[in-house]
Amino acid sequence: MNKLTYFPGCSAHGTSEEFDHTLKLVMQTLDVQMEEIPDWNCCGATSAHVMTENLALALPMRNLVLAERLENKTMGIACASCYSRMKGTKKHLDENPELARRINTTVIDEGEYKGTIDIKSMLQYCYEEIGLETIKSKVTKSLSGLKVACYYGCLLTRPKDITLFDSPEYPMSMDLLMEALGAKAMEFDFKTECCGASFSISNTEVVESLSGKILEVAKESGAHLIVVACPLCQSNLDMRQPDIEKHTGRKFDLPVMYFTQLMALAFGYPEKELKLPKHIVSVEAALKHIGEAIPEPEKVKKIKKAVEAESEVE
Amino acid sequence: MARVGVFVCFCGANIAGVIDVPAVVQEAKKIKEVKISIEYKYLCSDPGQQIIREAIVQNRLTSVVVAACSPRMHEKTFRKALLDAGMNPYLLEIANIREHSSWVHQKDKKAATEKASDLIRMAVAKSIANEQLHEISVPVTKRALVIGGGIAGIQAALDIADARIPVTLVEKSPSIGGRMAQLDETFPTLDCSQCILTPKMVDVASHPYIELIPYSEVIELQGYVGNYKAKIKKKASYVDFSSCTGCGACTQKCPVKVPNEFNMNIDKRKAIYTPFPQAVPNKPVIDAEHCTMLLKGKCGICAKVCEKGSINFKMVDEVIEREIGAVVIATGYDLWDPKPYEEYGVGRYKDIITSLEFERMVSASGPTNGVPVRPSDGKVPKNVVFIKCIGSRDEAKGIEYCSKICCMYTAKHAILLHHKVPDSHAYIFYMDIRAAGKGYEEFVKRAQVETAATYLRGRVSKIYKKGDKLMVRGEDAQIGQVVEVEADLVVLATAVIAPKDNPALARLLGVSYDKYGYISEAHPKLRPVETAKAGIFLAGCTQAPKDIPDTVAQASACAAKVCGLFAGDTMKKDPMISTINNEFCSGCLNCIKVCPYQAIVTEEIPLGHGSKEIRTVAKINEGVCQGCGSCVAICRSMAISLAGFTDPQIINEIVAI
Ligand SMILES: Cc1cc2nc3c(=O)[nH]c(=O)nc-3n(C[C@H](O)[C@H](O)[C@H](O)COP(=O)(O)OP(=O)(O)OC[C@H]3O[C@@H](n4cnc5c(N)ncnc54)[C@H](O)[C@@H]3O)c2cc1C
Ligand code: SF4
Ligand code: SF4
Repeated sequence: MNKLTYFPGCSAHGTSEEFDHTLKLVMQTLDVQMEEIPDWNCCGATSAHVMTENLALALPMRNLVLAERLENKTMGIACASCYSRMKGTKKHLDENPELARRINTTVIDEGEYKGTIDIKSMLQYCYEEIGLETIKSKVTKSLSGLKVACYYGCLLTRPKDITLFDSPEYPMSMDLLMEALGAKAMEFDFKTECCGASFSISNTEVVESLSGKILEVAKESGAHLIVVACPLCQSNLDMRQPDIEKHTGRKFDLPVMYFTQLMALAFGYPEKELKLPKHIVSVEAALKHIGEAIPEPEKVKKIKKAVEAESEVE
Repeated sequence: MARVGVFVCFCGANIAGVIDVPAVVQEAKKIKEVKISIEYKYLCSDPGQQIIREAIVQNRLTSVVVAACSPRMHEKTFRKALLDAGMNPYLLEIANIREHSSWVHQKDKKAATEKASDLIRMAVAKSIANEQLHEISVPVTKRALVIGGGIAGIQAALDIADARIPVTLVEKSPSIGGRMAQLDETFPTLDCSQCILTPKMVDVASHPYIELIPYSEVIELQGYVGNYKAKIKKKASYVDFSSCTGCGACTQKCPVKVPNEFNMNIDKRKAIYTPFPQAVPNKPVIDAEHCTMLLKGKCGICAKVCEKGSINFKMVDEVIEREIGAVVIATGYDLWDPKPYEEYGVGRYKDIITSLEFERMVSASGPTNGVPVRPSDGKVPKNVVFIKCIGSRDEAKGIEYCSKICCMYTAKHAILLHHKVPDSHAYIFYMDIRAAGKGYEEFVKRAQVETAATYLRGRVSKIYKKGDKLMVRGEDAQIGQVVEVEADLVVLATAVIAPKDNPALARLLGVSYDKYGYISEAHPKLRPVETAKAGIFLAGCTQAPKDIPDTVAQASACAAKVCGLFAGDTMKKDPMISTINNEFCSGCLNCIKVCPYQAIVTEEIPLGHGSKEIRTVAKINEGVCQGCGSCVAICRSMAISLAGFTDPQIINEIVAI
């Protein structure tokens, strides 16, 4: 049994309960014991770092100190924004030991910061530490027939020198994970475009236009649904969708699911465990595609290739 | 008794601003051998040298010490002053009180002054032991080796050969011509590249003073300026060029198709091929990596159809040697692979191509007969987006420098597109338009006015697919807005980079290269066509990105340098080289191992006076020795002496402080 220090972030206990819940189910199947950091605090999210630098560092730093006390090698973070704040902070502190010491001694009572823990997003943890082969071996209900567009958002793979994970512009880890579950990951250009993030509240128009574009391109790709790994991405794409549809006059009907929900489904958990009623855009119709045979353009390509190769060596 | 003159230079405020020159002059006067010690503002000036010349004659000096700047600056100047005064120039010593004192000890004037006096004392002591030395003459091999047969190498070879100096031109690929052979029409005049290049290629092949060695590489270079020896590897072509008539029967019948690199892999060539119809030499070679006869022993069709029996599957690589006096490096450039532009979908979208691919398409002799087409469906594009600075000026993904030519050729591409597809429209995303050159700005204007191309200032942030179109999203910084252009074809102006083999070649030749892999010139302003190694020159893009006019100018400059080097039958050489006293030599031959120039050989001499037995000792080839002194240091028998740096001279210096 592997042990993993877990930082859920604020959304996991609220808007993204279905993420948190399915994540726990999936980790159970994968034989990973999650230890939630006791008494964790907000990472500062999008607000702290525009206010004061010290606060923006101190908030994640306290979590890091608490996490180190659990003595696991890795900390997994559900939310992409928390992940970015925590990993960015760790890099900054590690590069500026004097500053780290000052903040540590002045505002953090929970102990000494050592900088020993490895921080990973939950997607990264699945991809790097568990591995696709293991995941594939746990699939009892293949998702074949389901076409998905994997949306990573801005922070999961960027900035590159902080995340040190996958490509910053055209990542493939989630796509490969979905293929391991049997689904078909579509070619999707807007994988890492910004959804508008927390402007959802202060400047809804911007979010509608940015998220609208993502929905448009995802629809164009032929996907039945969008897969995400971040609560904020999920809520922008899902919750804003009806408004976007109303304002643009386009119909998308694109459910937005967490990658863990699809993993849980493929691992054989019953649909009711996915907490589907929490979704604004209904998932039902999309999931009906599971089991459908996809007409294989790949096969056609292969045949063509073979013919070509033959004509080369006459 | 020695009679030494000391001359201390102010070098304006460079020296006098830190060092108390009059005090130093007085200090030198205290040395007993010093007969005269004076100061002057600029000793290197004509009046300054006149002072030295007069002092030599009046005081009957036996050696001269100039306390001034580095010997690298003015040693030659002052040696000449001695010579003009009737004195052996090697009786000069320089005390470098500028680079070694005033410049580096600006904050401590007192210490700097004391150090200057010490340096002068050492130089005086050394000069007392100086001997009269005489320049050596060495014979020169009047043949130049040109490496690389692009327009740079072609021009250099032709200019040198026209001066009746034999040239060996070594080209890596089966034909000369380089990148210029791939171009369609050329900026800023739109003359056809092939039309101006092919005659020069033919001239190379027919010139009585040029030996063209295609499909070959230089693998070793030994010796020194005027007397190099090069080893050249001729790759097996499996075709006997002397009997082959270039009829092309073999290439027609060969069944193996391979992506055609000359056409940027847009179409296919055969396993036996000539890279393009105007190739020089116009003889095919067999690509051993793809020929099924060479790989699996099956086929041999080409040998069957060849009427001359020129195909020889047993041919092997051959190494030949040439003696040469000078080398011109002209290995050109490569293009940067835009794969890191993942946000553009490079590698995923067929309809994103590079500028050189576009160049091949619009070329009348190209794979699409001069009409640009979309690789995905073969349709002629209407909206074409050109993006400049791909990899250039991009520290995050590519390299920092500006590739210099892409602004111009992109303007050219807009014009060519307009000529080939009149109802098309070009959109050009740019950071700056760099059009410095004769007729260049006018040319860009022409593109803007004649073709009504839309120039958009800003970077492209994203390319995505919509149906069969590519949506190009970028910033138009002039209106401060994000714009999206629906494109049929996207053309990336990828950065010019150094050939990947350049560092290995530079090491083999013993010249330096910069962090990008370009060969370094000796001085960026004053010696732009020489490398730091005597007798090795450089031309064209192997030094830095440049267009054809600049490349040709540099190649001709190289030729002038080579001709200058070969102007006399012998070359003068510094006499400050090592000699071995073979009576002391024990024959351990350690010196041979440490000599970086392979200047030491062995010699057999009688064991003793009149003895019949022999023993082996070391001997220095004075033409090769560069006077580095490594052998002097390693010799346990103290048998080696370096002229100008003899033991008495060095010991005198040490004793003086
Ligand atoms: C898309 C595009 C369009 C252009 N359009 C224009 C234009 O319109 N006008 C203009 O003035 N310029 C233009 N240029 C620039 C032009 O191509 C160069 O200025 C010119 O080709 C430089 O010549 P070169 O001889 O230095 O290099 P190259 O043409 O690269 O030639 C180098 C030669 O050396 C050979 N070589 C390399 N390494 C070795 C080795 N180790 N041993 C032996 N041989 C070796 C190569 O095979 C090659 O034949 C354009 C460039 C591009 C990319
Ligand atoms: S022997 Fe090789 S080069 Fe000749 S025709 Fe066959 S495949 Fe082509
Ligand atoms: S020449 Fe123009 S396009 Fe090329 S790198 Fe320089 S600025 Fe960019």
